[in-house]
Amino acid sequence: MWEGLELEQRGPFMMTCRNIWIVFAREIRDQLRDRRTIFMVAILPVLLYPFLGMTFFQIAQFMGEKPSRILVIGAREPLDPPLFENKGFAESLFLSPDEVSLLEVDFLSEGSRGSEKDWRSLAEEAVQSDRYDAVLYFPPGFASRLAAFREGIRQQIQAGLPAEGISRSDVSGGVENRPAAESSPGQYESQRTVVVSRSPIPSPRVYYSTANDRSQTAYRRLVEVLDRWADRVMEANLAAASLPPDAARPFIFETADVAVQSGFRGAAVWAKILPILLVIWALTGAFYPAVDLCAGEKERGTLETLLSSPARRGEIVLGKLAAITLFSMATAVLNLISMGLTGWLAFGHLPDFAAPPMIAIFWLAVALLPVSLVFSCLALGIAAFARSTKEGQYYLMPLLFCTLPLVGVPIARGLELDLGTALVPITGLVLLLKTMIEGQVAEGLKFAIPVALVTLGGCYFALRWAVYQFNSETVLFRESERFDLGAWLRHIFRQRAVPSAAAALTCGLAILLMRFVITNVLARIGVSWNLVQQALLSQLVVVLLPVVVLAALLTREIRPTFLLYLPTWRAVAGAALLALLLHPAFFTFQQVIVRLYPLDPVLKESLKQLTGQTTELWQLLVVLALVPAICEELAYRGFILSGFRSTHRAFHALIFATIFFAVGHTILQQSIVAFSAGLILGLIALQSRSLFPCMIYHALHNGLLIIEGSLNQNQIASYPWMKTLMTWTDEGPVYHMPVVVFGILAAGLVFAWMTSRPEVLRAYLAEEESAHSD
Amino acid sequence: MNSDESGRQTFSRPGDAMVKVENLTKHYDDLRRGRIIAVDQISFSAHAGEIFGLLGPNGAGKTTTLRLLSTLLKPTAGRIVINGFDGLTQPDQVRRSIGFMSVNTAVYDRMTAWEMVEYFGMLYGLSRSELQGRMEQLFDRLKMREIRDLLGSKMSTGMKQKVSIARALVHDPPVLIFDEPTAGLDVLVARALLSTIAELRDQGKCVIFSTHIMREAEKLCDRIAILYRGRVLAAGTLEELRRDYGQDDLEELFFQLITQAETTMIGKRG
Repeated sequence: MWEGLELEQRGPFMMTCRNIWIVFAREIRDQLRDRRTIFMVAILPVLLYPFLGMTFFQIAQFMGEKPSRILVIGAREPLDPPLFENKGFAESLFLSPDEVSLLEVDFLSEGSRGSEKDWRSLAEEAVQSDRYDAVLYFPPGFASRLAAFREGIRQQIQAGLPAEGISRSDVSGGVENRPAAESSPGQYESQRTVVVSRSPIPSPRVYYSTANDRSQTAYRRLVEVLDRWADRVMEANLAAASLPPDAARPFIFETADVAVQSGFRGAAVWAKILPILLVIWALTGAFYPAVDLCAGEKERGTLETLLSSPARRGEIVLGKLAAITLFSMATAVLNLISMGLTGWLAFGHLPDFAAPPMIAIFWLAVALLPVSLVFSCLALGIAAFARSTKEGQYYLMPLLFCTLPLVGVPIARGLELDLGTALVPITGLVLLLKTMIEGQVAEGLKFAIPVALVTLGGCYFALRWAVYQFNSETVLFRESERFDLGAWLRHIFRQRAVPSAAAALTCGLAILLMRFVITNVLARIGVSWNLVQQALLSQLVVVLLPVVVLAALLTREIRPTFLLYLPTWRAVAGAALLALLLHPAFFTFQQVIVRLYPLDPVLKESLKQLTGQTTELWQLLVVLALVPAICEELAYRGFILSGFRSTHRAFHALIFATIFFAVGHTILQQSIVAFSAGLILGLIALQSRSLFPCMIYHALHNGLLIIEGSLNQNQIASYPWMKTLMTWTDEGPVYHMPVVVFGILAAGLVFAWMTSRPEVLRAYLAEEESAHSD
Repeated sequence: MNSDESGRQTFSRPGDAMVKVENLTKHYDDLRRGRIIAVDQISFSAHAGEIFGLLGPNGAGKTTTLRLLSTLLKPTAGRIVINGFDGLTQPDQVRRSIGFMSVNTAVYDRMTAWEMVEYFGMLYGLSRSELQGRMEQLFDRLKMREIRDLLGSKMSTGMKQKVSIARALVHDPPVLIFDEPTAGLDVLVARALLSTIAELRDQGKCVIFSTHIMREAEKLCDRIAILYRGRVLAAGTLEELRRDYGQDDLEELFFQLITQAETTMIGKRG
């Protein structure tokens, strides 16, 4: 397409696409000539799974043939119906004769006597010492009492007496007269009732160990036999009562798997397995090419050659990304196909085996690109940082440790896709795939947009990080160095006027960690504090303390770090007006969020208890509006925003600071609202270069929500001006939609007025321009 | 040797320069050693049809200077203009105007000589048809026919050097930058390489050439700048340097300048 054009005729976009394609084509050709890559991507999958399948069969056969060793204690009296015959369990209790030999039985010698406690110790010791896989203990008198129970039933029926009063606990011997219930005053009749015995049938016991696979297998086999014998006992008891054997179970519930008709049979299992497999293969398929194409190039000395060409760093990164993504996809596809074929050949003949439904294959194909892209971006960023292939490979394990829990835990714990999980990177993507494979397309599509936004956002930032590595001289030309802790500490201790991006990241993570620790410590020690105490602890200890400590250690100048500059009157007025004008929108937004994604009932109850405590309004305003306005602004728009702004990318700084602000609100519904408010607060901070307008906005924002929450219907009705703004519904006060819309539009005008100062706008644009010139 | 408005010595020849370096400075921070000044306010210019040599011991700042010229590094201060393009604001055009070869610019193990040169030719914006003709000429001129289809991993050092030169020349840049190109080469290969560089100068290219070998500088360079610890100690043609410092032997001249520089530095610290 571009070949016919002269260099000058090709536009910048075409040149970029051309360069990306050239780099991509070269990387693909290079990797296809690498024997290790061909082996990992193509040959290993073809050989591995058949080999694993064969090995599995060998092992399974070996395990399947081992009999379980059972010790039976106390079965001196013969049981009716028989449980044992020919020094083992009765053959009629097994589904096939082959299974009889899987339970080898030893009986404890006749002469052994002892207390219940002695037998229990003996049984436990027999299992723990691995002499036996399981122990079956019949307490003394079991057989005789069982027989007596049945005899009692028989006598009752023969005597034509009602079975009323007969129960397991009433088993005894003999016939006795019982006074009848009084049917009318003065009347008395005696009834003859058979009461056989009043002693209970003691329970037999099975001893086994869940710490031991063999013991668990023995338990499973033994219980199957005992359950069938218990059914025989029940049939014998029914026969004694002259009842047909199916009297206790005259019908059975039939089952119909609708998945069979709709082609989704077994989809639930595949929905769990396939996403995990896809993630593992996409990740490993991305990582090794990434390390070779980035760290390997540095090591081999060809990176400097490439960087001296006219190709821009971004073009080089995108070309390499495309190559890595392609290899990631190829690895995943070849492995899944090979695994699938092996499974079909090995297990396809089994009646319980269901191949993945076609829809699962379809969604897997759809998910292949985004999953591969995510891991390719991550792998590229990490590999670009590594100095050598050896160093790059070290980073694979931490990446796996971080990724696999995000995939495995939600699936293993049976988590469903909802707004909360959709917003978690990788987890949301995997759960979306699981939901689609299960056939719940409508449910999945509800969350497709948040999943897509989070995934694409993650890819974008990972790529930006990779481009940063390629632009970073310290990373590109980094020599091996010996880590010197003292030198490093001296380097970071109060060397910078304002925090670095790393310091901002550390602060954000420190706040989250503090919240986690404090919450769990308080729960563990059983402390129950009231709302005021909890709010103050949360703000002063969890939020403010890490910020103050890090600022003291890592920065020299407080004012630029925390934007403690006097604001202009325009900024102050503008922030206050914004808070007032946007309040209806945020209030309504909050209600919509709660309606769409209701609070967990347990959480709702605990919040209700907390807020239901008798607290003065002014106290609420102080601890929930004023104090957070100070502490959270110092943290998020002060230290953290300043730190991320040191990268000279105001937009990225705004996003990252806002993400930390949102995640710091542990309740998801609050986090969503906080994210939106955080964006506005960040814009105010960037525009005004002062923290005080942000504090004013934050205090007003929270304060108005608290005041509104305390309103009741009568109060609204008693103020005509309030009625023009809102109405009372079952959910509480609701703003009229025109009020909300007006507020948003007016807020836009106010913000335009705030930013209309040319020098502020110029400074902002200059900062963005210097970022883009990198 | 001239002086600029501030009285600082500059080393330039009148006339349009293909390469102009003004007060070029590069600092970087080392965790243990603190701030390192790799290049300290270097200024020079180089013209078409000239080989400008940067001569200095290891650690003098030659490689850093050449990496700054080729936009691999960004200067802390100062200005670079190559072929009329500013190194900071027009780095793509600068890279398009230069061919860069250094001991750190290797060849790809799994590419043949032809593929490697073609790859970079395409990155320099040449179309396949242009490249075909150009590469045929280059391979003939540099006697690379035999290694055309040889993989990089199978090449000798001399072959790799040829491929690197071909790569640097494929787009016919007006400026060529060679950073210690004879490092690790045997005498024969080195001689051939130096001869090629001289031919390029004769064809009108502007060549910046760095070395720590006096003999190379003497034989090849039209003008030389002697670098030490990031600073230019002296610069000019060989005749100018000999005349100015009263020393015929370049090596002795070199040691004389370094000794003077060391003495000055010790005096400042004292």
